[in-house]
Amino acid sequence: MNLFLSQISAIVWKDFVTELKTRELLSAMFIFALLVILIFIFSVNLSVVKANEVGPGILWVAFLFSGTIGLNRSFMLEKENGCLMGLILVPADRTAIYFGKLISNFVFLSIMELFILPLFMIFFNIDLLAHLLPLLLVIFLGTLGFCALGTLLSSLASNLKTREIMLPILLYPLLVPIVIGVVRMTGQVLAGEPLSEMMNWIGLTASFDIIYIGVSIMTIDHILEE
Amino acid sequence: MDNLGFLFAANAFVWGGIIYYVYTLKQRNRALEKDLELLKETLSKEG
Amino acid sequence: MSSDEIEENEEEGNILVWLTGLVFLAAMIAIFIYVPTEKTEGVVQRIMYFHIPCAWLSFFAFFVVFICSILFLWKKDREWDIYSHASAEIGVIFCSLVLITGPIWAKPIWGAWWVWDARLTSTLILWLIYVSYLMLRAQSDAGSMRARYAAVLGIVGFLDIPLIHFSVLWWRAFHPQPKVITSEGIGKGMDPTMLATLGISLCAFTLLYFLLMGVRVRQEKLKDEIDRLKREKIYSS
Repeated sequence: MNLFLSQISAIVWKDFVTELKTRELLSAMFIFALLVILIFIFSVNLSVVKANEVGPGILWVAFLFSGTIGLNRSFMLEKENGCLMGLILVPADRTAIYFGKLISNFVFLSIMELFILPLFMIFFNIDLLAHLLPLLLVIFLGTLGFCALGTLLSSLASNLKTREIMLPILLYPLLVPIVIGVVRMTGQVLAGEPLSEMMNWIGLTASFDIIYIGVSIMTIDHILEE
Repeated sequence: MDNLGFLFAANAFVWGGIIYYVYTLKQRNRALEKDLELLKETLSKEG
Repeated sequence: MSSDEIEENEEEGNILVWLTGLVFLAAMIAIFIYVPTEKTEGVVQRIMYFHIPCAWLSFFAFFVVFICSILFLWKKDREWDIYSHASAEIGVIFCSLVLITGPIWAKPIWGAWWVWDARLTSTLILWLIYVSYLMLRAQSDAGSMRARYAAVLGIVGFLDIPLIHFSVLWWRAFHPQPKVITSEGIGKGMDPTMLATLGISLCAFTLLYFLLMGVRVRQEKLKDEIDRLKREKIYSS
């Protein structure tokens, strides 16, 4: 167990050092998310629709789109320099590779979200601070589900010829339940409803997270096999 | 109620879809057969 | 495959062709002549006898993909890969037919081509998932990699179905429900003749599934065989 944890942390650590050295990913994700939000603000007339109604949807679209950039990169980086082969050849559990990548994807996306949230608050004039804790729980559930399925599919797509195109095509239809869930929950949280009002959505997103982490553990061996 | 057109359209689409799929299957079969013939020819030439 | 086996297979195939044709004929007679016209919806309601069997067939096909994908990852036998490929293809064809006949039925009854009704929406997402499955297969070269990746996607995709179902159902619950006479009323409030017609139609489509599967699987095996011979030829010369 200890060995497993140290393998995971080694992979996460490697990703962080790379990011600290290059500073390519986080800045790109942040700017991209900002651009998505801006484009939506221009395309939706905010004087007609209420910010509270469209806000959650726009926020999550921005998260998902920029999260896809992060996912695309996470295995591509390894692929380009032949590092994935090295990772597979290391006498480590394949599941450890998956969890390492899952954690680093999750942390990168979460950091980016933390930067976006204050801007969202200012742009849409919504007070997030009043409902911060439930909001963070919703974002945690959504981001975890996105990364759980996304890491699995990006490890799969990285070996295809058209990887940048195939990842979103494979990923987005499968993400539909969690997207509907988190957008609904975010809307309800911002409207001031307590979490107990949306137990069905919490159950749905949590089971999405659990199912896809479980499936990934069971199938990752078949994907990272050369 | 005169919606026979809708019924006809739905019916036509279903049959059209099935027939189209069978047609593509047939074409793929033909291509495979051609491939097989070619293979046989080259093999018999050699042997 | 020996020539005896092929002959035997063909004979079985022929019986299946005739049986499917006969049941389809019976289904057509039942749909257009035998079954009485429904009172509230009129003649359009007869679309149901195509719509529901197509939906059933595509769902069944996707279930077969799921089972064969699991079996493939377990046994690593090309046979299961062929089955899941063929089944996914047939499933997508009939899922498209559901998505086409759905709006044609909806237009005269609900007054709009597309209503974001829970069942129709789920079908659309399902269609997208399995089209992406077929795209994945088309993108990668034949071999164990393609088979393994497709199998993973086949499992992931099918497990998503219940989640999609509930999320879309609850998503709709916040909007006014369209006044629908959908297939909710299967069994209850349905005339026995209607039930019988639907049953015959379901039978016909299920037989069609097995017929198409047989053809498609045989084709794929033949292709494998040709590829193998070609490779042998290249290496021997």
